[in-house]
Amino acid sequence: MFEAVLLFREALYGALVIGIACAVLGVYVVLRRIVFVGAALAQLSSAGIGLALWLAGLGLFGSTHAHTIGMSLVITLAGALFFGVGGGRRYLHHEATIGVTYSVAAAMGILLVAKAVTGEAHDLFLQGNILGITRGDTLVLLAVAVPVLILHAVVAKEFLFVSFDPETAQTLGYRVVRWNLLLYLTIGLVIAFAMQFAGVLLVFNFLVVPAVTGLLLARTYWGVFGCSICAAALAATIGFVISVPLDLPTGPAIVAVSGLLALAAWLVRRARGE
Amino acid sequence: MTIPLVEFDRVVLGYGTRSVMDEVSFQVPKGDFLGFVGPNGSGKTTIIRSLLGTLVPLSGVITRAPDLRFGYVPQRDHVDSLYPLTVDDVVIMGRYDRIPIGRRPGPADRKAAQVALEQVGIPDLARRPLASLSGGQKQRALIARALVGDPNLLVLDEPTNGMDLVSTTQILGLVRDLHDDRGLTVIMVSHALNEVANYVRRIGLVFGGHLRLGTVPDIINEAVLTEVYGLPVEVNSFDGHRVVLARSRHLGDDHV
Repeated sequence: MFEAVLLFREALYGALVIGIACAVLGVYVVLRRIVFVGAALAQLSSAGIGLALWLAGLGLFGSTHAHTIGMSLVITLAGALFFGVGGGRRYLHHEATIGVTYSVAAAMGILLVAKAVTGEAHDLFLQGNILGITRGDTLVLLAVAVPVLILHAVVAKEFLFVSFDPETAQTLGYRVVRWNLLLYLTIGLVIAFAMQFAGVLLVFNFLVVPAVTGLLLARTYWGVFGCSICAAALAATIGFVISVPLDLPTGPAIVAVSGLLALAAWLVRRARGE
Repeated sequence: MTIPLVEFDRVVLGYGTRSVMDEVSFQVPKGDFLGFVGPNGSGKTTIIRSLLGTLVPLSGVITRAPDLRFGYVPQRDHVDSLYPLTVDDVVIMGRYDRIPIGRRPGPADRKAAQVALEQVGIPDLARRPLASLSGGQKQRALIARALVGDPNLLVLDEPTNGMDLVSTTQILGLVRDLHDDRGLTVIMVSHALNEVANYVRRIGLVFGGHLRLGTVPDIINEAVLTEVYGLPVEVNSFDGHRVVLARSRHLGDDHV
């Protein structure tokens, strides 16, 4: 069992990077009640991957991994910009816009991959292949995640204020739309890269479930981040360790462990009587 | 001549291209205690948003004094109880704009928060979660947050909404004390005419896209209120307190 885990250790490191980065951003996603923005951005990212593969099949676009990442990044960041400035709110409720984006992007991802020359083989991109992560991939993920996490540490109080009480923040001179935009762009950036390796299910899980665990367990705001990071790291490690020897799909195994940790946190919260 | 803290000059307010308030002109001098009163949806919050600078007027000019510093108290139910923040955490937010990016609040900020909590009478609640407080305590915490930034204009949006009689009286008494003792300029928005009429110096009645502003005796009288509300209105005085009573067109059907 230990040898099997060692064999895929690079994949575990990659999963840990994705999990920890998403766990930090996920605290904002859950607290701001924009859980489905995370889902919609993940689907936009998959549509970007599909578009890159389809264009590559037609000979109109490069077929390397860098090309798919590039296209996915452009589409996801465009979505983050759209949601960040409150796009579509003039005519529709925000949730309706998110719902339309989510469903259409999901369908486009599937349709584009189906029509790509090597479509079947590339279904893997949409579902994610966490075990396929290499050392190089982990370094790419670190190159994205570390600056994002440093930025979040530097502007933590600003993100807190504009998330918690944007109206008051604005009266003190905060440009709330710009701060929101920055927050959404960091979320979009991490999702676009994470999607290349982890797929929609796992990325969405890391964006939501560890943060929920953190909110259930922690008694302070900053403690939520700590608990969320620990829950993501624990879920990634345990899910990984049990999936390899038991020949289970790794992504769903990690999600299942995340869910169990959230359940345990809920039971702890109940036991505390809070 | 003293420069007013805020001056509205023929300001038209609205959203998009839709006008909500007609040409509005008024001044807020230093030391004023002004209440905007009107039914829900009449445009009170629109005036406040434009005053705070979070809503750009459709036309006209809003001038703010260079040394103007707002202390804003939003409606209590706008504050999200999902965030696991202590009272202290929330109060210190009122000083965030003075703390450079990348820096955390320091001892001076914590001391200022403690002083603000003492001013509003809840120094012992500093480490309590905000979500665990009663409505009145939460309102005091939000007033403390507004005070911690050392404002010269305190703006409160529906500060007693949903509160019981005791909490309402305590909160309005606290606001009046802040005005009387600290000389703080105060603007308060409320839909409760009787509450505001007994605390403020001037009243702005907001109705049907119009604003009628004057001293309390100028506004709180039967002629003005009957004209504005379109109902026979009585203004009585009990033990120095004004009580406004609206009579519906059906005899004996009174509303306070």
